[in-house]
Amino acid sequence: MNKRLKGLLVAALAAIALPAAAHHSFAIYDMTQNIEFDGVVETLKMRNPHMAMTLTVANPDGTKKTINFVEGAPANMIVRLGLNPADVAPGKPIKAIGAPRKDDPNAYFLKAIILPDGHRYNAVGP
Amino acid sequence: MMRNIREGFGVLMKSASTIALAAALIAVCGCDRSGPAATAVAATPQHPDFSGIWFPAGRQQDPQRPEFTPGAAAAAAEYEKAFTLDDDPGRYCQWPGMPRAVWGAPFTVEIQQRPQDLTIYWEGYGMYRKIFMADSAPPVPPLPSAMGYSVAHWEGDTLVVDTTNLKQYPYMTRQATSSAAHVVERIRLEEREVDGKKTKFIVNELVVTDPKVYTAPIKITATLRHRPDLQPLEYTCTDALWDDYLTERGLSLPDLDALP
Repeated sequence: MNKRLKGLLVAALAAIALPAAAHHSFAIYDMTQNIEFDGVVETLKMRNPHMAMTLTVANPDGTKKTINFVEGAPANMIVRLGLNPADVAPGKPIKAIGAPRKDDPNAYFLKAIILPDGHRYNAVGP
Repeated sequence: MMRNIREGFGVLMKSASTIALAAALIAVCGCDRSGPAATAVAATPQHPDFSGIWFPAGRQQDPQRPEFTPGAAAAAAEYEKAFTLDDDPGRYCQWPGMPRAVWGAPFTVEIQQRPQDLTIYWEGYGMYRKIFMADSAPPVPPLPSAMGYSVAHWEGDTLVVDTTNLKQYPYMTRQATSSAAHVVERIRLEEREVDGKKTKFIVNELVVTDPKVYTAPIKITATLRHRPDLQPLEYTCTDALWDDYLTERGLSLPDLDALP
């Protein structure tokens, strides 16, 4: 796919990304929050209707914890945005942006993935 | 109740940005109007060919907040006491079905057109629908279904599709319909200018009538953009359900991909 066509595709998909992902309400998540986590992918489920991922992140004291992204974009949608699943395979370092569940602060909606090269893939909105 | 209805239609309104983008394009109708009016003949060279890969490109609806009948309003009030918007049938792979599938989720829609019928595959939820030309239609199936029973005829360059035999979709904040719902679609091709290139669009004008649920017909215009550059992907909706089952049972599958 040439760069221009890819750009057009990303723009077109971005325009519909929000209603696309919103096939159900996000009311259970505090979507006003954008909590950033730098970590290493522990598990990945590239599935529909929503992908899921766990991320291992380091605490300030050097210990590690697992962040559980219980939902994210539909797998088909995010790969059409250009995400290569190999770039988020277990063991890969990424930055993830999450919104916590209101009733379970240890479970997050995966709002965006940012790769080490700066490429960003949004599940909701730009 | 109105809050949830508003939230539900808020999703529609978010789609309005896409509609606005499409509306901003210059519509250039390249339709062939030489076909006979109101005939039941199958697709011929003088009729549009809807075959191809398409992608949802927005919709409009009038009224935006359809009025429930008194019975449906009471059902909606009860529904809202028990259900939230997070109780999502789509998450459990329930097909949205007709008419909701027409405006669809943001996944490819593949149409294969033959003289006697059209077959539509929606990537999202793996939905499948047959539209039979009137002179080739089989009997009404014995069971109602999510996609119903659709029979079509041509009116010039417009395919007019009549759908009945739908099973109810009783999710009151999600464009609910009863089995009495009747959908009439008027489907045509348009050619519009997109980035200097002529691009095909399918414009589907639907009228949904459901006297058990709504006090008046609902008019919807849904648009699909021709996207031959997109490859339909498999959408296996049940993976998460199976994963959850395995977790509940404390079972874990072997990872064959990790084998040497």
